[in-house]
Amino acid sequence: MIGLAWAGLRSRVSAFLGTLVAAFLAVALTGGAALLLFSVLTARPTTHRFDAVDVMVGGDREVSLTTVTDKGKGKHKSKTKTERLAGAPVLPSDWAGKLAAIPGAGPVIADYSFTVALTTVDGGPIGSATGHGWASAGLMPFTVRTGTAPGADELAVDPSLGLHPGDRVRAVTRTGARTLTVSGVVAQKLDEQTSVFVADTEVASVSGLAGPTALGVRNASAAEVKQALGVDTVYTGADKVRADLPSALPDYIGAISIFGFVIGITTFATVFVLVGTVALAVRRRLRELALLRAVGATPRQLWRLLSAETLLVSLIAAVAGAPAAVVVAQLIAARFRVLGAVPEQFTVDVNVGVLLAATAVTVLVAQLSARLAARRAIRIAPAQALQETVVEGRGGWLVRTLVALVTTAGAAMILAIVPLDGPFGMGMTFISSALLLCALGAAGPLLVRVLGAVLSRVAGSTGIAGWLAGAFTRAENRRVAAVAVPLALMVAINAPMLLNSALSAKLAAAQERERTAQATSVATGVAPLADVQTVAGDHTALLPTQLIVDEGGKPKHHAAYGVQLGGTPVLDLGFNAGNWSGAGLAASAYVALGNGWHVGDTVKVWFPDGYATQLPITGIFDRGRGFGDLVAPADLVAAHDPRGWVTTVALRGDQNVPGMHTAPVQARTAGDADEQEGAWEIMIAVSLGFTAIAVINTFAIAAGSRRAQFAQLRLLGATPRQIRRMAAREALITVAVGLALGVAVTTIVVTAFSVAQDGALRLVVDPVSYGALLGAVGLLGLAAGTVPTRAVLRSVRPV
Amino acid sequence: MIICMKITSPVVELTDVRRAYRSGDTLTRALDGVSLSFAAASFSAVMGPSGSGKSTLLQCAAGLDRADSGRVRLAGHELGTLKEPKLTVVRRKVTGFVFQAYNLVDALTVEQNVLLPQRLAGARPDRRYAREVLAKVGLAGREHARPAQLSGGQRQRVAVARALAGRPAVIFADEPTGALDLQSGREVLALLRQAVDEFATAVVMVTHDPAAAARADRAVILADGRVVADVPDPSADLVASELTAVTR
Repeated sequence: MIGLAWAGLRSRVSAFLGTLVAAFLAVALTGGAALLLFSVLTARPTTHRFDAVDVMVGGDREVSLTTVTDKGKGKHKSKTKTERLAGAPVLPSDWAGKLAAIPGAGPVIADYSFTVALTTVDGGPIGSATGHGWASAGLMPFTVRTGTAPGADELAVDPSLGLHPGDRVRAVTRTGARTLTVSGVVAQKLDEQTSVFVADTEVASVSGLAGPTALGVRNASAAEVKQALGVDTVYTGADKVRADLPSALPDYIGAISIFGFVIGITTFATVFVLVGTVALAVRRRLRELALLRAVGATPRQLWRLLSAETLLVSLIAAVAGAPAAVVVAQLIAARFRVLGAVPEQFTVDVNVGVLLAATAVTVLVAQLSARLAARRAIRIAPAQALQETVVEGRGGWLVRTLVALVTTAGAAMILAIVPLDGPFGMGMTFISSALLLCALGAAGPLLVRVLGAVLSRVAGSTGIAGWLAGAFTRAENRRVAAVAVPLALMVAINAPMLLNSALSAKLAAAQERERTAQATSVATGVAPLADVQTVAGDHTALLPTQLIVDEGGKPKHHAAYGVQLGGTPVLDLGFNAGNWSGAGLAASAYVALGNGWHVGDTVKVWFPDGYATQLPITGIFDRGRGFGDLVAPADLVAAHDPRGWVTTVALRGDQNVPGMHTAPVQARTAGDADEQEGAWEIMIAVSLGFTAIAVINTFAIAAGSRRAQFAQLRLLGATPRQIRRMAAREALITVAVGLALGVAVTTIVVTAFSVAQDGALRLVVDPVSYGALLGAVGLLGLAAGTVPTRAVLRSVRPV
Repeated sequence: MIICMKITSPVVELTDVRRAYRSGDTLTRALDGVSLSFAAASFSAVMGPSGSGKSTLLQCAAGLDRADSGRVRLAGHELGTLKEPKLTVVRRKVTGFVFQAYNLVDALTVEQNVLLPQRLAGARPDRRYAREVLAKVGLAGREHARPAQLSGGQRQRVAVARALAGRPAVIFADEPTGALDLQSGREVLALLRQAVDEFATAVVMVTHDPAAAARADRAVILADGRVVADVPDPSADLVASELTAVTR
């Protein structure tokens, strides 16, 4: 069978081109997305900062909660959940001595790590860096290239800041702002962090750390250190990086969720298109299959032939697709690096196993779709080969209806039950779009018949070309469905993403306006809390942080703000229960609802350096969108967050905040594009590009299969121009059907999302970009519907 | 005895037409200097062994293919001087075509198929005449059926009706009875005969069946791209013996 399939393939390349292209794209895109996800999941941060020592010791970098459930009969089940801390705790003061006491150990180096923001003396930004005492230089080691090591009121910097000895800079830490003179520039620069050093005598007062956050020792073994300190965890080798400040290390969490999404979308789109393409290719060959049956092939042999052909085509596609997958992954990674959605050091790990897996999935999907399409085809009666009209058989309606009903029900359930205003909102809307698209695919011909009947009557009024176009689309609704559904896919996958993220941004901006309604100006920048407290008049200062909360035995982290209220609150968070006036914790309504919190409940909170405390909930607020989930006292945040500084102050009046830039509220722009938006942009580009190719592909296949029909029409007296015009009108009808189906799915999903956010029914969130997307898809469909037809027509002769 | 002579100019006229096909290294001379004319209101059969150029002759005469050299006049139009789309326009106005198979567009009903050439010509379809012609071919009442619902013979009759509905000057038929049973074949031939007798259409029919040729006024026999016999008032036996002579 393989030999027969190979011979068939070689002789009629054009017949298999469509499937080849679809399979190639499937391997390239799913492979690329899989490589990205794999690289991000297996990324290990590395650093050279601790090269000069053998063992590093640090405090706990995570919060662990264990819940034990008693399952009766003396059996217990324990579950442990952990969450990473954003900061690092200070080590016990006697550890340094204990390490030094290890026989044969070299010098013990104390590592103080803290975050420092550097600005010019008049407040212009330079950058943020990780600060250390000069002793930490010995861990790598850092050596001075120009100038000297830092003394009092001095700073040594690494070359990336572009500073020179003698420059004066303003350094802001949580303990205050200081003007320091650059004493020297070191020769080394770490990839993952910018390093600055202060004198050992000053590091404690500058950083606000009571002791070192890590200790390094040479010439000692891990076992000796563990025994000396009585701890379980020490870091050696590549693991030493975990002794560093977590905020200095690249964070891949955001990238993981983005790439997870990318792989979900690409896999769905490729499977969808591959199934449709293979089915179309099989249906084109009905007469040939009937002929094979006539010369003696059994249905089973036909199936094996089709299976062998599909296998060969997908393998050939994989050979080209695998290198393309690497290229795709590199391109996306490069763009994400530029956008900051992934850290600078992120590289694509080209793992052959992942590529093989993507190939295997594609081959499997192609085989399954061939089986699906061939089920009826291989049972074709041999006599059909001799007949004029080859009918595939009108069956399969039961399965199609069932699939359509099940998927629609699934989508409806998701939209109705899952809270779409949570962090999974976008993901869930995508899944419901996908399910509705599957329903479209299953019920395609029926829907096309209904919609097409309406549209073709309209087309029929425009002369013979329109009349023929209408007649053909009414009669050949399977073919029309095969091209209309990918168009609907293009709209229904991209439009909800586009519109829902636009809606989220709009709502966040609206809430921001409501929050700052009573403020006259907002100061932004970096300033220590002490400086802000001296500002006169009403002001509200925000310190960004991350808090971990015990939610039913699971530690969950939330974006939060430490808030300092000076005078009457300037920011209006919209409290619906209680009020926050400086003590305790305030929670957003979404989080409070999810956890069943009420005013007066006490929750356990961990600050970034591991400091844990119980705080009562004193207020629940509505306007958390684009803000944060929790509000905590500023002094706690300043003391326990590695940054611990104020980034925003809302003011009522004309005050100036030292070291920050003040602007009137109305003048504030919408803020920089989120790194998330960049990710959406890429996903939309990828899925648009892929589905565009799929649409072109399907149209080309459909055009190729109509060669005989065009010849017949020519014979009956149609001029080439008439056929082109007919094809254009058919494309118009098909595009209209596809857009209508896509818009229907989008409207359902977008409306559900909108209602879930704030109860308002919005059908079209952003008419401009929605219209642009529909216009682009429509144009593409028209081009794809007419260009292949012209190409086929050129070579069609009446006989 | 009164002899009535109808002096009419031929509706199809080929003068020294040559047509060759090249495939790879071989050159096949399908038509090698053929000169023929077919009068109006005449029924001509074109016959010959396979490869004799019968279908090529039909295609060149009907304007479906371009002769390499020579002149083709169709209902007063010099086909050699016409370019697309004018060629199609002329063809559609002056000729009707009946093929051996795949005559009808599956997506259209019987009536829509019959009226298709007229619609393509941009003319108002003459529904009344179409119904009349369909009745003539014995398919009254089946206007809204689809080709898939008809038998082979019925489909062929619809094709004849379509050819007639446009009131053409000449009908070209390529093996119209080849795929039909005897009864249906006889019916189709009777319809073609009727077209000549009642509608004054010229019919040029390619066939290999001597019995079909016997219904014609004239049998032209081709071999190797040349006319080797031109038999007036053919009988089946005469035609059969001429064919055998050619193939010996």
